[in-house]
Amino acid sequence: MRPITLGLIALLAPALAWGDDITFKDPRGDDKGPGTYVYPTNAVYKSGSFDILEVKLKDAGADVEVSVTVAAKIEDPWDSKKWGGNGFSLQMGFLFIDTDRKAGSGFDEGLPGLNVRFPNDARWDKVVLLSPQGKTRLEAEIGSKAAKMKSAIVIPTTTRAQGATLVAKLPKSALGGAPSKTWAFQLIMQSNEGFPDKKDFLTRKVNEVKGEHRFGGGHDYDCDPHAIDLLAGEGKGAAGEAQAQYTALKAHTCDDNNPDGGTRATVPMIVPK
Amino acid sequence: MTRALLTLALVSSVAQAENVNFEVNGKIYTKWLYRNNDSQGLVSLGNPFWPDNITGDNGVGSEFELGLLGRVGKHVEAGVRIASRFGALWQDWWENGDIKYSEENTSGESLGMNRSQYLKLRGYWVRATFPTQWLESVLIGSSDFGMWNEWTIGKSRYIDRDNGKGVFLQGSPHTEYFRYTFGLIALPKLFVGPGWTTGPGDSLLRAPFYSQDWAYGLKFESNPFEGGRITLLGTITRDSEIDTSDPDAVGSLYPDCKDELGNAVPSCQKNGAVDAFSRYSNAVVTLEAQIDTWTGGSFNALGGWSYSRVDPQLATNGVKNNEGVFPLVFDDVHGWFVRARGELFDLGGADGLTLKFEYFNIDQHFMSIFGQRREGDVLLTDGFLDGGQLPTLNLANEFIDFDDLWYESCVGWHGGTVLFEYSTTPVDVALEGTVIGYNTDGQYRDVAEVYPTFLHSDGYTDTDLYDYANVLDRGRDPRNVYRQFQKRLSAIVMLKGLWRTGAGRGLDVGWKLKFIYDKDRRDTSEGMTQDDYLGLITTGRVWLSYPFFEGFTVSLGAQVSFWKEDNRRGTPKAGYGDDSTFKAKPFLDLRYSYEGLSFHYYLEYLYKDAERERDPSRTWHVIRSKATLEVAW
Repeated sequence: MRPITLGLIALLAPALAWGDDITFKDPRGDDKGPGTYVYPTNAVYKSGSFDILEVKLKDAGADVEVSVTVAAKIEDPWDSKKWGGNGFSLQMGFLFIDTDRKAGSGFDEGLPGLNVRFPNDARWDKVVLLSPQGKTRLEAEIGSKAAKMKSAIVIPTTTRAQGATLVAKLPKSALGGAPSKTWAFQLIMQSNEGFPDKKDFLTRKVNEVKGEHRFGGGHDYDCDPHAIDLLAGEGKGAAGEAQAQYTALKAHTCDDNNPDGGTRATVPMIVPK
Repeated sequence: MTRALLTLALVSSVAQAENVNFEVNGKIYTKWLYRNNDSQGLVSLGNPFWPDNITGDNGVGSEFELGLLGRVGKHVEAGVRIASRFGALWQDWWENGDIKYSEENTSGESLGMNRSQYLKLRGYWVRATFPTQWLESVLIGSSDFGMWNEWTIGKSRYIDRDNGKGVFLQGSPHTEYFRYTFGLIALPKLFVGPGWTTGPGDSLLRAPFYSQDWAYGLKFESNPFEGGRITLLGTITRDSEIDTSDPDAVGSLYPDCKDELGNAVPSCQKNGAVDAFSRYSNAVVTLEAQIDTWTGGSFNALGGWSYSRVDPQLATNGVKNNEGVFPLVFDDVHGWFVRARGELFDLGGADGLTLKFEYFNIDQHFMSIFGQRREGDVLLTDGFLDGGQLPTLNLANEFIDFDDLWYESCVGWHGGTVLFEYSTTPVDVALEGTVIGYNTDGQYRDVAEVYPTFLHSDGYTDTDLYDYANVLDRGRDPRNVYRQFQKRLSAIVMLKGLWRTGAGRGLDVGWKLKFIYDKDRRDTSEGMTQDDYLGLITTGRVWLSYPFFEGFTVSLGAQVSFWKEDNRRGTPKAGYGDDSTFKAKPFLDLRYSYEGLSFHYYLEYLYKDAERERDPSRTWHVIRSKATLEVAW
């Protein structure tokens, strides 16, 4: 084999394979945000639909396969194909990644509508959208609601539902390279809202009392974190991680006299171990 | 200055408080519909029975809707949706709706309420949530009935999503093991019943009584183990009518308890109460198990039973008197169904390869008058029509445009589907094989008085050029499942895919090929072969899609169909003809999304050449388009 060919293979190798999968586990039954959230009353929101059980990043050649498993079969009650969607309707996952691990680098605010912040030493550099919405709609939402984050938002090449798992594929290059176990990750599960508030990035609101299409157990202002489930602790699915999630998401304040007041909850970033 | 600031602060505070308790949302929807013909209106296919003046192929009109949500208390909220009536063209200046002359004129008052864009209360509801698990919430008012399923009480079509009313209770005495939903639902008087009515308009009824017609639903759900869910659902639909022999009834036959000859009617006595009979009743029970305990697959089993009873004294037999156009078997029947479905993921270790398989067996007498009418699909197969298969004869393929999907009844279907799906980064491919036998097979079926045929039961259905009266030989009615003579076997093979080429900003290439084999021996009498039907339907579709810039995608493609049908239609007496049909349909599709604005434009040219053996051949050249613009805030 010519040296130049060997050199090319050596150069490309890190981009083509990074070795072991990166896997996180999350406890069953913690799809309650800060411990108080409840599902909307409409029958499409079936028990466990937003309860993360596992998040996996898998080497798929030039691509990364991101899979998120929840505790109920993923369904398509709103016929997503009709609106250019990806074969499911309800779930909306956000995979935040801190790729440079530098304090102060990246975004410390979540995408609009999630109402969360990230630690200063673990700001996110990339976010992968696991959305039922098609590319056209997502691009429009990014342009109008998250323009300043545009270069950091990754729309996967494909997103589909497989049983109780969302599976998305995206080029490694979209993340700046193959995922590394030195990176930090956070998966926030939300619900796809086709008619979102003008500031919300396709996220479903959480109110004080549940409604037909709104989660309950939060606050009527947008001070509470609109995150139904996320990774916490070491991301190994230990029982104590549910409490760690509740504690993190409870750490916000609201001002009953000011819709824009209060302080946001800070969600942890998890480094795979 | 200080005073002014204080006032401003107070006003601001009040406004905020109002905002918390009161939400407003609005939407404007505009549709442009054009075709190279001279019909005027905003809906391609409107009411098939009662004439309306909004149906037509040329026009532009808008609709406005307003949603209000009020938080009455911490646990009580109420909402309404008000929407303008759709149907007025932009050209319809000054239409008031207060007078409707017999013909259009320049008064501005000639087209009636359909064209006056009046605001109508479309939906209203009150919901209370309670801090007890036994009764978590009560909903009073509008619902889309999405809590039931397609086999029992179907989810309302989108345009009817707030029209259904009822009282609904939900609770979960145990979050995992025991959840329930109960519903008391007002029967829609205009489609849930024999002859699409719960009484009004039925010539057998002297005094139609529909204000106590209800459906009842009860659902139990349980997750008995992790990854398992069981749902038991029962519904009863009951249309009752007053006993016209009751002397207390308005319009009673015996108001004085005397017959026409003046003799006393036995047991007739006024008591201040009016007795009622059941005109029609329908009970449906389903039991479903969903199992997702294994990451390598998913399994679902669903079965059910129905009972349908119609009183011939109180319901006109539409099979007999309405040329077979009737949404029920006109008899007391009970039926059943089973459907078992499995999915195996990453088959044989191949990432992205999924095998789906399904067995279905729906009895010929499974009747669900309140089952889902459209916008649903209970079978895995692509079917004969692209929309979906639903288990009722009461389908709704009306109030649709030429580009909307069609739905077909699967009552009586018995067969299986195998579907391979392979998803990789650049390519998605799906290959389906389906075989369908029919529990509706039979000879000398009574289609004169019992089994509805919807008048047109022969020939592959042309949904591109459909007309209710069938003057264009559009083929079988999608609701038709019964024939006088039938011995039918069908097979469907479908291959579809999408190739994401990655060229430029993301050029996609899509394709779909479908072949249908449809054989019906019809009359199987000795030597009777001249009526045997054989349909070989081939359809191919290919398209390119490209996102030119952010939020703007253009698709360009074409569909070609060739149908070869032996003995497409006819009668043993008149004979049958071998027909062939060729259709070509190039199309353009534009989608633009910008902030809260969504625009969609679809343009197609449809060429159809129907070569018919017994009838004159026909050719169509149709150019038509539809554009929609939606903004919501």
